[in-house]
Amino acid sequence: MSDTLITLNNLSIGYNHRPVLSGISLAIMRGSFSALLGTNGSGKSTLLKTLLGLLSPVAGRVEIRASADAPVVFGYVPQTTVMDPLYPLTGFDVALMGVYGRVGPGRRVPSAERDFVRECLAATNAVDFSGQRFSELSGGQKQRILIARALATRATILVLDEPTSGLDSAATHSLLEFISKIHGERKLTTILVSHDLGLVRKHAQQIIWLHQGKVLQGSVGELLTPERMAEIFELEMN
Amino acid sequence: MESLWQILSPDFLLRNSLYASILVGLACPLVGVFLVLRRLVFMGVALPQLSSTGVAFALSLPMWLNAAQPEHTGHREHLLAFIGSTVFSLGAILILAFLERRQRGLSEGRLGTSYVVSAALSILILSKNRYGEVGWLDLMKGEIITVSNFDFALTGIALGVVLVVLGVFYKELLLVSFDRAMAITLRKNVVLWDVVLYILIGMTVSMAVLSVGPLISFGFLLIPALASHLFARNLRQFTVVASLIGGLAAFLGFWAAYSWDLPVGPTDVVVLGLLYGVAWTGQRAFRLLRPAQSRPPAAGANVA
Repeated sequence: MSDTLITLNNLSIGYNHRPVLSGISLAIMRGSFSALLGTNGSGKSTLLKTLLGLLSPVAGRVEIRASADAPVVFGYVPQTTVMDPLYPLTGFDVALMGVYGRVGPGRRVPSAERDFVRECLAATNAVDFSGQRFSELSGGQKQRILIARALATRATILVLDEPTSGLDSAATHSLLEFISKIHGERKLTTILVSHDLGLVRKHAQQIIWLHQGKVLQGSVGELLTPERMAEIFELEMN
Repeated sequence: MESLWQILSPDFLLRNSLYASILVGLACPLVGVFLVLRRLVFMGVALPQLSSTGVAFALSLPMWLNAAQPEHTGHREHLLAFIGSTVFSLGAILILAFLERRQRGLSEGRLGTSYVVSAALSILILSKNRYGEVGWLDLMKGEIITVSNFDFALTGIALGVVLVVLGVFYKELLLVSFDRAMAITLRKNVVLWDVVLYILIGMTVSMAVLSVGPLISFGFLLIPALASHLFARNLRQFTVVASLIGGLAAFLGFWAAYSWDLPVGPTDVVVLGLLYGVAWTGQRAFRLLRPAQSRPPAAGANVA
């Protein structure tokens, strides 16, 4: 946690030029583990899509500071429910997509890149089921494949959109432990969208809390204190 | 069996028709798999019909402009039909895909309206053309009795281009179809790859409509892909098996039509339907006979 990787300065986000959330100013440090919290409809997904470049900001700018030796690459882990089960793809096929950004159009994926994908699958303990059809895997297995795919991009920033949705508590715990381990080992800047305050308290270092059209940012110690949470929830109740 | 040896003979009189039919049978499912995967099955119905309206329009254009009518079996006529078919297919798929992306209105409503209006327009255009009923209706119905070397070469070149482009850029087309968000984060030009895919679909549909007609093109676009999907374990299997089913149905359909003096196009579709039925029954039987432990986990089961 030495320097700023992402800076949002007075950013407005929304759809079709209509702002959903305005005046967002925050900074995400390189190597940090940030959690994006907020109720349904608070603008979490819109902010995430804007960060990833899927939506253009209504106003303001997203500044991402690349290091001198490598461009910034997002390793995006979407919710498994957005993956269409109609595609007859194996887990390996899905993970292999992670290297497509480095392999030019019309070029075959080199064997070295395939080996790298196998390494990523091994790192996420997904080798055993990577030959099975992706749509037939369990929720936790799919998440491991998608995290392997994100690692295969040689990501600078790992972005996980509610990775535990639809998982039971044991699987949720195991997956978050695993994400924390990956973050610790690879010093990856990690942004996690979640509803689960308990898990966020345990694993994240920084909180970005969207509520009532405002953005609060602070450390877990600052924002997840009983007094501060009561204050926030009282605001939401009112 | 004698008819089989006849149609396999290099001197067979209708060999170009057979080859063109097989070519269409092999090529249509290659783009059909993308229509199925992108859940654009209704576009597979509307596009061939719009393409055939393009054929009727192009063939009537010289008459409207008081120009000399081309010979019915001439290369000019086929070329004109090819241009009309391609322009209408590409125009329609680009407009429909654009509206699909904007997510305005009801997609099925747009496609249904396009289908029924274009079908009616084709009939109206041809009914007002004094040459229409002589030979062009056969072309629209997909009566592939005579295919000249020129027509066959044109079909072969167009479908060859589709095959090569599809093969070379398969991973890009797959990525933008399966996970658009991921493609954007990897800085892929998703609009460009969408357009490439739509051009391939449009070209294939227009060649198929000229060779076998709109109804049969729809059959070749979708049924092989649906049949293959029942068994395929990965995308390569899905695509290759779909293409082989299309080619096989085209061959068997032609053989049956030749043996029993039936129209080729509708026979092809019935054969496709039969193959789909066999595949579906086989898959059900396979599932019932497979040991329980080798079945995929039930939906909702979570194993981290």
